[in-house]
Amino acid sequence: MFNRRLGIIDLSKKKTFIKQTPDSLKKLFLGGRGLNSYYLYKMIKPGIDPLSPDNVLIFGTGFLTGTLVPNSSRFNVSAKSPETGILGDSNCGGYFAAELRYAGFDRLIILGKAKKPTYLYVTDGTIEIKDANDYWGMDTTEVQQTLRKDLGQVEAAVCGVAGENLVRFACVRTGVKNAAGRCGLGAVMGSKHLKAVVARGKQGIEITHPEMMLETVEQLKEYIMNSKVSSILGTVGTPFLYEVSNTLGAIRTKNSQLNAWSESLNADVVETFVDKMIGCSSCIIHCRHRNKLGGEGPEYTALGLLGANLGIEDTAHVIELNNMCNELGLDISSSGTILGWAFELYERGIIDKKITGEELHFGDFELVKRLLYKISRREDFGDILAESTRNVKRFGKASEDYLIAVKGLPQSDPHDVRYIKAFALGIATSSRGADHLRSRPTLEIFLRLPQEVRDRIYGKGVPGDPTSYKGKEKTVYFSDNIFAAIDSLGICKFICHGFNSPHFVDYTWMKKLIHCTSGWQFKEKDIQEIGKRVIDIERMFNNREGVSRKDDTLPKRYFDDPMPLKIAKGHHIDRKEFDSLLTRYYKLRGWDNDGQVKQERIKELEALT
Amino acid sequence: MKYLYVYPEKCTGCRECSIACSLTKFGECNPKKAAINIIRDEFNRYEFPIVCFQCEDPVCLKFCHQNAYKIEDGVVIRDEDKCIGCRLCAVICPYNAVTTIDDEIIKCDLCGGDPMCVKYCSTDAILYLDETEELEKRRKEMAERFLEINKK
Repeated sequence: MFNRRLGIIDLSKKKTFIKQTPDSLKKLFLGGRGLNSYYLYKMIKPGIDPLSPDNVLIFGTGFLTGTLVPNSSRFNVSAKSPETGILGDSNCGGYFAAELRYAGFDRLIILGKAKKPTYLYVTDGTIEIKDANDYWGMDTTEVQQTLRKDLGQVEAAVCGVAGENLVRFACVRTGVKNAAGRCGLGAVMGSKHLKAVVARGKQGIEITHPEMMLETVEQLKEYIMNSKVSSILGTVGTPFLYEVSNTLGAIRTKNSQLNAWSESLNADVVETFVDKMIGCSSCIIHCRHRNKLGGEGPEYTALGLLGANLGIEDTAHVIELNNMCNELGLDISSSGTILGWAFELYERGIIDKKITGEELHFGDFELVKRLLYKISRREDFGDILAESTRNVKRFGKASEDYLIAVKGLPQSDPHDVRYIKAFALGIATSSRGADHLRSRPTLEIFLRLPQEVRDRIYGKGVPGDPTSYKGKEKTVYFSDNIFAAIDSLGICKFICHGFNSPHFVDYTWMKKLIHCTSGWQFKEKDIQEIGKRVIDIERMFNNREGVSRKDDTLPKRYFDDPMPLKIAKGHHIDRKEFDSLLTRYYKLRGWDNDGQVKQERIKELEALT
Repeated sequence: MKYLYVYPEKCTGCRECSIACSLTKFGECNPKKAAINIIRDEFNRYEFPIVCFQCEDPVCLKFCHQNAYKIEDGVVIRDEDKCIGCRLCAVICPYNAVTTIDDEIIKCDLCGGDPMCVKYCSTDAILYLDETEELEKRRKEMAERFLEINKK
């Protein structure tokens, strides 16, 4: 367990250093997202250009990654985000993270910039900086297959052509579709001339109490497999969420001008395109669809943002766009949001052909395909779109009113958050901008959840009505903390308590899993404290970059335009109610009224080693 | 007699079987140090569990010059005391079902009748069943399918 190393690679100096992360730090942050955020705060100077050699890029595996623990496949890629200028962090599954641990490493911290295209080859305790000239210019699948031809059965995390060309929403990809998608971390790879991080190893992860782990996992597996949600996710994957949101009238449609879209993107239709459901390393949910069009997916996010948000109905078209984003190495959430924004701006006359070079409109599959390709190459209007939300400056102040983003990050969740108020608070306060995977309290959708279950999870005073603002700071606070802990353990959120289910891995399960792996004795409260610590250090990073209360807000449309269709009709976010909800959330977090982490806490966390 | 039967169409590639095997046998989580291996390639779109078929006329037994292999109640067993670690069995097994890693030779012994791989599989892609004529046919088919994949 504790023989895993920390690799520090200086690409400018072509030097590698192999160190150990102290146990004391692991006890405070576990690993994955937690330790990554700790190192980002320590190592990145405020105000640096994210695409300069000063940025620090981290690949960090979770505390339990690569073990028998179900769904322990995950790692986080972190750096200052070129899309937002604040904390950039993205969690990813697949097989790369487990392989990195079998190769002897927990975490790689990458500094500087290589003179020419480079990749890292990590194998059985060593790191080599190698020439990637032959791989530069390759799509994400081609480069991974070529690496396997050249090096054998390796696992790789790569950037696509979009990353090479510094598209501000380029993703990091591993396998056919797993992506550290958000925050433009593929562009950070590109800016460092780093095409790939390649791992191969045969070192096992030693477990302190093997028999206890076998027993605990057997019980946990039975518990999870008996849940209805697991079987739905394992049969149709996340597309089942599309229908849930659409029935409510909460599918972002045509840049949120509408809130409902075609049933042709329902899970039962998507299912007809599925060859086989597969899983990530150690996964017992297996929500990945190998599609009949040559790729994997689509996820709910792709259905919403490359389908409804762009006015596209044809399921095959959406799958094709999904596959295309994956090949080019583009983040699907940002791609769909930025294109939808541009289409509406064009229709409203806020931008015109002088900028776009051609007519833009919703529902045109060929146009979307062409633009995605051009974005990845930074050609013509694609070069402009590649700047993501920064285009507010170019398109003018009026364009900002139609942008579905928070803190410069386009919203990932295809769910229109005007109806469910807790979702709104979640995307407004998330540490990387408008993103649902930091704190989405999905249980808000489960209207029939008994009140005593709700009370047990969130504490008393949270009404079941999702449109009420009352007590919703508690649901976001709870979710934020536990998701930060699960991200630090390297376990997928699909088996996290409170994400898709009121059951699953809670702090008690975490405590047991940590104990059988390492022998460490944590209390439930200690793990909750880890989550809070991670959220606070991420906030400290963002505060240092200038983030405050003014930034914890929502797209203008969510405040001012009532939703037009279905159950959600008439709902919007009330500015006053939202403001007091935000105040209550800060209070619960212990931040000051301007959303700043207090000096006392900063001192405490800065002193940790 | 009960044997392991694999159902690649249900295998998701997750390797919980291999990790459970390595954890049971060596106290570590290491899918490469296990008697069951998953051959997987998401780009070429296949997942295939590789485990000893417990052949009736096994080449590992036939060619072992130390006579380290024997068949006990239908299970092909390697005697660690007799084995000198030459790895010939691993080289000649047509199904790659004998694993070698570092100094270890790992051969499935069906965990004495309670195979861990079956217990930790979440999709029934590997089952421990009483042999029937139909299942035997399947076992042979799977062996042939593996040989095909191995050629790729």
